[in-house]
Amino acid sequence: MASKIVNFTLNGRPVEAMSKPLTTLQAILREQFKYTATKSGCKQGGCGSCTVLVNDEPIMSCLLPVENVEGQEVVTLEGLLQSEDGLHPIQAAFFERFAVQCGYCSPGMIMISKALLEQNPQPSREEIVDALTGNFCRCTGYEPIIQAVEEAARRMNGG
Amino acid sequence: MTTKEYFLPQSLDEAVGLLADHGPSLLVIAGGTLAMPLINEGVSMPETVIGLQRAGLNNIKRTNGSLAIGATTTLTRMMADHTIPLLQEAAHHIGGWSIRNMGTVGGNLFAPPPSGDFAVALLALDAQVKLVSNNSQRVLPLTEFYTGFMTTALQPNELVSEIMVPVPKGKTAYLKYGRRHANTPAIVTVAVHLILENRIVKDVRLGLNAVGPYPIRAEAAERVLIGTTFDQEAIAAAAHAAAEECQPFTDSIATEWYRRRMVGVYVRRALTQLAG
Repeated sequence: MASKIVNFTLNGRPVEAMSKPLTTLQAILREQFKYTATKSGCKQGGCGSCTVLVNDEPIMSCLLPVENVEGQEVVTLEGLLQSEDGLHPIQAAFFERFAVQCGYCSPGMIMISKALLEQNPQPSREEIVDALTGNFCRCTGYEPIIQAVEEAARRMNGG
Repeated sequence: MTTKEYFLPQSLDEAVGLLADHGPSLLVIAGGTLAMPLINEGVSMPETVIGLQRAGLNNIKRTNGSLAIGATTTLTRMMADHTIPLLQEAAHHIGGWSIRNMGTVGGNLFAPPPSGDFAVALLALDAQVKLVSNNSQRVLPLTEFYTGFMTTALQPNELVSEIMVPVPKGKTAYLKYGRRHANTPAIVTVAVHLILENRIVKDVRLGLNAVGPYPIRAEAAERVLIGTTFDQEAIAAAAHAAAEECQPFTDSIATEWYRRRMVGVYVRRALTQLAG
């Protein structure tokens, strides 16, 4: 079981990961880099709590062998921090709109929202729901999350 | 994790070479949305895995009246191609955004029902599948590709490299019924391609998913329709035939009885859309 070195960019910084064959990106992020915002939920691609961005596109990191991200750009929730205590506008909107209860889905929700707002800065409510449909929340009933994404879109557009 | 080696071939030639060397012991994955959940659970413990994501199969080519879709083209990429709206709609009905960024057109051919809601649209469009090995190449109609529940005509040394889809000449419809609006396993999915001439059905393809061991054609319903005037009576007769001929199953989503009832309802609704 030969380990391989995989090179990629993690939150803007070039990194090297040591990986046994078929180790998931999720496992590498949490266990090797101790970036534990990316959650280990269902490991089936069914819950979205492990959502990270690869080349600006959301993916389920529990289903992606880390060898596949060789040379690619990976962004996790840790990459959103703008300063030591500064929240990203999406994080701030989630906080203020009570879109976070237990918090388990929040990193995935925030990452997929970031991808949405980058590709579509003024999404309709339907487009927000469509983007978030693969990410499960068992606390909020979704409404505060949808409102937080709408609020984040307003702020990021200077509103 | 018992996997000893994970190959990421850089070309189709390299991929089929690996298949020839390793044969049946090799597990082929693309987006990983079907295989990785089983591997994570320990249900599947493949020794050798080959990933197709770098093999240059993620492209869509347009050639005289048809699309040639590379096997690892993602469902997100399919949603962005406007050539065949039925395929865009079918792609949108798979999973959520992240899953569509990973899941592929070729991979969906191996998704056991109630998954396979993209493949059922391919079936309604008379798609063909290109199977390649290190020393051969053949093209099969998708109807001949499926042989049983989770079994296909694919030989151990072959892989699906491309799916060819003629641009439909008639009207199309796609209806998926699940327990949620989106990101949901199907109770039944219906895909139709209908060619009318002066209100007479000249030709029709009716694909059903989640009501058989693989995505199936409702051939008895098709025979009911061909040559008849396309009216409510013909639609009702076709819906009845489809409900009779389908082979539904019971799972955590729906019972066999309910699925059969819903085949009648959703075939009628899909055809009624095209009558409007």
